[in-house]
Amino acid sequence: MKEAIFTIGNALGIHARPAAEIAKIASQFESSITLYGNERKANAKSLLMIMSLGVTNGQEFVVSAEGKDEDEAIDALSLLISNNFYED
Amino acid sequence: MKIIGKNVVEGIAIGTVQYIQDSFEELLQEYGVDDPQYEKLKYEKALSEAVMQLKVIVSKAKEANNNEQVQIMEAHLFMLQDPMLDDRINQLIELGESAPKAVMKASDEMANMLGSLEDAYLRERAADVKDVGKRLIRRIFGIEEPKIDREGIILCGEDIEPSLIANLSSDCVSGIIMGNGSSTSHAVIIAKAKGIVTIVGIGTAINDFENGTEVIIDGYEGSLILKPSIEEMKLYQERHEIEKQKKAYYLSLSELPAVTKDGFNVTLAANIGNPKDIDDALKFGCRGVGLYRTEFIFMGKKQLPTEDEQFLAYKYVVEKANGQLCVIRTMDIGGDKPLDYLSIGKEENPFLGWRAIRICLERTDIFITQIKAILRASVYGKVAIMLPMIINFEEIVQAKALIKRASNELTQSSIAHANNVQIGIMVETPAAAIMASVYAKEVDFFSIGTNDLVQYTLAVDRGNQKVSYLYDHFNIAVIHLIAQVSEAAHANGKWVGVCGEMASDPLAVPLFLEMGIDELSMSAPSIPKIKEAIRNCRRDGEILKHVLTLTEASKIREFLSGTILANNINDTIN
Repeated sequence: MKEAIFTIGNALGIHARPAAEIAKIASQFESSITLYGNERKANAKSLLMIMSLGVTNGQEFVVSAEGKDEDEAIDALSLLISNNFYED
Repeated sequence: MKIIGKNVVEGIAIGTVQYIQDSFEELLQEYGVDDPQYEKLKYEKALSEAVMQLKVIVSKAKEANNNEQVQIMEAHLFMLQDPMLDDRINQLIELGESAPKAVMKASDEMANMLGSLEDAYLRERAADVKDVGKRLIRRIFGIEEPKIDREGIILCGEDIEPSLIANLSSDCVSGIIMGNGSSTSHAVIIAKAKGIVTIVGIGTAINDFENGTEVIIDGYEGSLILKPSIEEMKLYQERHEIEKQKKAYYLSLSELPAVTKDGFNVTLAANIGNPKDIDDALKFGCRGVGLYRTEFIFMGKKQLPTEDEQFLAYKYVVEKANGQLCVIRTMDIGGDKPLDYLSIGKEENPFLGWRAIRICLERTDIFITQIKAILRASVYGKVAIMLPMIINFEEIVQAKALIKRASNELTQSSIAHANNVQIGIMVETPAAAIMASVYAKEVDFFSIGTNDLVQYTLAVDRGNQKVSYLYDHFNIAVIHLIAQVSEAAHANGKWVGVCGEMASDPLAVPLFLEMGIDELSMSAPSIPKIKEAIRNCRRDGEILKHVLTLTEASKIREFLSGTILANNINDTIN
C-alpha cells in the first residue's frame, strides 16, 4: 500500500471539475484507490463519492492506493493535485 | 383552451403534443420481482444499453460543436458508470428489491446526498443523477426513447430530462412545455442554447395532454393554447411567419457595425450577471461588456467570496470578450439584497441606505479583495472598473486610492496584474449627474444607470403601484440630466455610455445618438433590435433640440414614434 498527503490549494476546493479529473485518472488504474478527508473516505474512482467529501481550500487529505500499479497511480494523482488541477 | 405558464425561451411554436413519460409508479407496482441474480442481469443489460446511448449522444454533440451539451452529457456518462451508484444498486437488488426499484432508490439517495451540499453547482448535479436513473429505468422496462420522427413536435412533460433535450434536433422539435416551474434547470439551459421555444410551470394540467393534439406556444407571454380555433391558428401562423423573417434579418445584422446613416459609430455592449452570460451575448453580436454585475458572486453564499474565486469568474468573461472592453462594476449590494455574512441590518429605506460604494469605502477589505481579483483578470484582456452609487467627489478620490493600494500590494507580491485599467463611475444619482462636469476630470468614463437615475430623480418607487405610473425614462428632467452628463463627459474628452433599461428602448435611440452617447449596454437579446434602430437613423440634432422644448413624457413618446416612422417611410421612398 502506498499513501500520500496533500493540501488542497485551488480556490474552490474539490468541486465538480477537479472531482471528475481525479475520478478519470483513478479509473485508469487497477489498484483500489481511496481518498480520506473531512473525517470520511471515498472511492477515488467514484465522482459522486469524491464530491460528497466536500474538501475545501486549505484542507488536508490523504490518497491511498493498493494494488500492483499503486506507485504509478499515486504519481499520476500527485501530479494533478500539486498542479492545483491545472485551474490557475 | 388557454393555459398560462412562465416564458423561458421566447418565440412562437406551433405543433402537436408529444408527451414524455416521467413517472414510473404504475409500471413499478405491476412489476413482478425475479431472483436477485436475474434482476442483476436486467440491470447490467440496461446499463450497457444506456452507456451506448449516451456515447452516441456525446459524439453527436461533439460533431455539432456544442460544448455545453458535451460537458453535461459526459458528466451523465460518468455518473452512469459510477462505482458508488453501481455498488448501491447491486446491494439493493441483493436485499430483494427489483432492478428498477433499486435503480430508483439508489439514484434518489445519491441525489439527496448531493442536494444537501453547500455548493450550488453540486446541488444542481442532483437533478443529473436522477436523470441518469430514469434513463436506466426506461431501459429496464424496455420503454423506447421518445421517437422524434415528424416535424412540429411540441414536447410536453412534468419534467423533461436534459439528456433528452440535448439529443433533439430542433428541425423536428418546435417547442417544449414543462409542468415543473424551474427556469434555471439544465433542461432549460440546453433548450435556451438550442433556441427551442419553451415555457415552464403550467402545473399538473400537463399530465392530461394527449399525444397528437394541436398546440400553440406563445413564448413571449408564456402561455399555450391547446386545440386552437381556426382563427387562433391563423393569427399565430402569421405571427410565426413574421418572426421567422425577423430572426433571419436580425441574424444577418450580427456581423454588421452599429453605425448611423451619417457614419456615427456606437458600441453595443452586453449587460451580464453570471459569467456564462457572455457566451449567449456574443451570439447576439455584442462588442464587449458594458455592465458586469458582480453581485451574484456575493449572493447565495455563507461567506465572502475569495480573491481566487472572483478572479476565475472575471477572467472567464474577460477572455471570452476577446479583446473588447469589459466594464466590471464593483459590488452593488445593499439592504434590498441582504447578505448573511455582511450585517447590513434592517433598513427603513434600503435604496437610500448603506449600499454599494458606501459599504466598500468602510469595509475596505472587501473592496481591495475585489479590486485585486479584477486587476489580475485584466491581464487576460481589456478591463474597466466602474464604481456604483457615487454622489461625492471624495468617494471617487478615496476609491482610486484604494485601487492604487491594491495594485501596489499585487506588485509587492509579484502577482501578474494590469496597471492601465480605466476607472469610471455609474451616474445613477442626481448628485453625480449635476456634478458631472467636475467629476469628469477625475474619471475615464461615465455610464448612466437609467433605472436608478429615474427612480432617484423622480423620487418614485416603481414597485409601488400607486405611483409607478410616474416612473418614466422619458420624463423631461431625466432627459435633461442625461444630455448634461453626455456634454460634460465630451467637454472633458471622456466617453459616456448608458447601461439601464432605457438603452434597450428603440424610441430612445435617436435621442442618445444626437447626444453623442458612445456606448449602449443592454441585455444581449435586445442588441439586434437596437442595432437596427441605429442603422435606420440619420442625425441632424433636430430631434433632441425639439424634445428638450417639450415637458410631457407622453408628448415626447408621441413625437419620437412619429419621427421614427417618418424616417422609415422616407427611406423606403428614397
